[in-house]
Amino acid sequence: MKTAVYFCSCGTNISDKIDPRTVEDAVKKSNADVIFKTAGFLCSEDGKEFLRKDIIDNGIEAVVIPACSPRDHEKTFMNVLSAAGVNPYMMQMVNIREQIAWVTEDKEKAAAKAINYINAAISRVMLQEPLEKREIDICSDAVVVGAGPAGLKAALSLAEAGRKVTVVEKSPTIGGLPVRYEEIFPNMECGPCMLEPIMGEALHGNASGNIEFLTLSEIEGVVGSYGNFTVKIRRSPRYVDTEKCIGCAECIAPCPVSSKNPFNCGMNDRKAIDFSFAGALPNVPYVNAGVCLRFNGGEGGGKENAGDAGDNGDNENAGLCRLCIDACPVGEEAFKFGEKEEILERNAGSIILATGSSLYDCRNIPSLGYAKIPDVYNSIEFERMLASNGPTEGSIKTADGGEPQSFAIVHCVGSLDKNHKDYCSGICCEYAFKFNHIIRNKIPSAKIYHLYKEMVIPGKESGGLYEHAVEDKNTVFIRVSDINGMTVKEEGNKEGEGGKKIVSYGLLRSARNSDHYCASGDNGNISVDLVILCPAVVPGKDMDKLAGILEVVKDKNGFFEELHGRTDAGRSKIKGVYLAGTCHSPMDIKEAMSEGMAAVGYVLSGLVVGRKLSIDPLSAVVNQDICSGCKVCIGVCPYKAVSFDEEKGSSSVNELLCQGCGTCVAACPSSAIKANQFTNEEIFAEIGIMTA
Amino acid sequence: MQSSVPANEEKLDNVKDIKKEINLKDFEPKIIGFLCNWCSYAGADKAGSAQKPYSPNVNVIKVMCSGRIDPQFILKAFEKGADGVMILACHPGDCHYKEGNYRAVQRHRLLLRLLGQFGIEKERCRFDYVSAGEGDRFVAIINETVETVKKLGPLKKV
Repeated sequence: MKTAVYFCSCGTNISDKIDPRTVEDAVKKSNADVIFKTAGFLCSEDGKEFLRKDIIDNGIEAVVIPACSPRDHEKTFMNVLSAAGVNPYMMQMVNIREQIAWVTEDKEKAAAKAINYINAAISRVMLQEPLEKREIDICSDAVVVGAGPAGLKAALSLAEAGRKVTVVEKSPTIGGLPVRYEEIFPNMECGPCMLEPIMGEALHGNASGNIEFLTLSEIEGVVGSYGNFTVKIRRSPRYVDTEKCIGCAECIAPCPVSSKNPFNCGMNDRKAIDFSFAGALPNVPYVNAGVCLRFNGGEGGGKENAGDAGDNGDNENAGLCRLCIDACPVGEEAFKFGEKEEILERNAGSIILATGSSLYDCRNIPSLGYAKIPDVYNSIEFERMLASNGPTEGSIKTADGGEPQSFAIVHCVGSLDKNHKDYCSGICCEYAFKFNHIIRNKIPSAKIYHLYKEMVIPGKESGGLYEHAVEDKNTVFIRVSDINGMTVKEEGNKEGEGGKKIVSYGLLRSARNSDHYCASGDNGNISVDLVILCPAVVPGKDMDKLAGILEVVKDKNGFFEELHGRTDAGRSKIKGVYLAGTCHSPMDIKEAMSEGMAAVGYVLSGLVVGRKLSIDPLSAVVNQDICSGCKVCIGVCPYKAVSFDEEKGSSSVNELLCQGCGTCVAACPSSAIKANQFTNEEIFAEIGIMTA
Repeated sequence: MQSSVPANEEKLDNVKDIKKEINLKDFEPKIIGFLCNWCSYAGADKAGSAQKPYSPNVNVIKVMCSGRIDPQFILKAFEKGADGVMILACHPGDCHYKEGNYRAVQRHRLLLRLLGQFGIEKERCRFDYVSAGEGDRFVAIINETVETVKKLGPLKKV
């Protein structure tokens, strides 16, 4: 193999310490066939042109460049090799500037070290193989999982960029958690109103043709990899045709059966056919087959009681309830009672996970009385109580129907606590002061106690609500030492009967604005009518299943783990699967929206319509003949790039997912895996020369 | 079997002679340093940009990740005449490939046991962490290791 060494003097940066002539003589002595040339600045335009011409003129097949660090100019010289018609991987840079010339005081030793390095590089480059960047066709469409703020923002932005998007949402409605909030911090904006323009645009706007919303749907399986995923989606029946229904709600009142409304945390009932809440989008009710008489053998009312919508009209439907159908101005065709669960398949190059989060279960701290004592609510239940479309239509009430005059808002429930969740969710204090503001408006004389461990109100707009609370004479701040040590009990042993709750706490500091002053370290008691617990934000319940399907790694708290917590927080560890919103970390709505946009950035820049996806050839390759099938490599790969073929009994590496770290190569007990550009032979050659 | 005894004694005498010849003050150990591309190699470049001189005895071989460092590489280096081997990885939690440095440290620990059985002192095989910004730390680790190996003397040929 015709090999040349192009020694760069880097002006005098290198040649001041390492004499090129000395090096040339020594290198030629041990490598008689090698061409050796010296240039002043190889990275300059003149230098690159000299390099390109010289490679062509001398028919060079492999190149060694003693110069600066490969971190500076490896790409530069690889491009020159390509321009000269030589495979760019047939090159080895030798870092004689940063790692020899600039750090070695003795000139002779510097030259000797450089000679040694160059000889090692020559022996290695001769073993190197030309590698080709492979290109594959891609699908530029995307699947977005979750239709909350992050998912909606991502879907709409992708659609506006001309990409086809399928939004998979497990609930019957879109909008996520903020549509449950009457008002949101920091500016007391109406939650549904804030989302309305985005949801409206996504459902009916100019780009809506590019978005397919699949509600009541979940991811069932994913095969393929970045650029070419096939996503299996299980869609449960809604039993109402979203195209034909006009959303007039005429069907709801006649429906004879009800069940707890999960949207309102079970605090009120919904009919078997109903909206989740007034104003839900899509503006189409859905049928709860668990209670609807048509699915439960119960006979109901209705005119003909024979023949049926969406069915073949055979007699098996005779006698079934049809009160909703009779009330519908569109008629039978708006109903699809024959609808069955469906498995749909969508192709996508990228997947954005925006599945959101839930709240820490307050029952894990039993002394707080949650789910045992009436009038102890978690924050989302209280949000629904405040909402005009909620179970109490926005009036704050105790279980016995009275208006509470005193409130305990407990921050940090399960947060900053190694026995529960060791992190701060960063949003609870903010909505706690929002609660303060709303309570104050609705019940001006109410006494409000904030019991907190730490106060966290980041952001330039957050000060306002906090200041209102601080300035308010009837708002008391009590910094407690430990939430676990806090107890909530009913006054006078009237268990389950409502009335005053006694909140007992250990005080950390003297309380501000407090008429319940006690010294630090003492225990204090307050008596209140209603307790609001602000729990830690935790991963959603379905995340385990999704993580299993997508093989996305979860962190120690169960959130999806980022590729890098700061520089690549929007990417999962699986290539082409992006993270947006609270599925990977607690955050507020603003951040979730921004993350939706960030995910779109990854999709648009990663998969460009009309451009193929190029695969870095620095990957690992399994020799199927040698592989013994021990599967050690599968366990060590951080990218799930190694899979096992049960039929062949051997592993193989997906070069698209492989990042080229070589961990599997070192782990393979049979030496069956090769790391392109870092093969055992190449490294042994280096070792051999360097120790000589 | 008995005939081999005098031969062995002869051999031992040879070794002693060689040892006498080596003036330990002039001993320049050969050390191979395996550096990962993203942290420790960048740390070495950082020392270079800052022009911090250090001992030239360590010859660097770059790999993409410390997880690529096969124990075979280390054994090969000793076999070929290295007096010491260094493995420099990203700090825990910093690995560009997430967890390659954890693999590297696990393998290093296991290898140390094996090296002991071969009669190679564990101080000759150093594992440490250097980040891309830690030029000074890189220099300190290099100089320290060279001193350590100098004190140990050349690796005995058995």
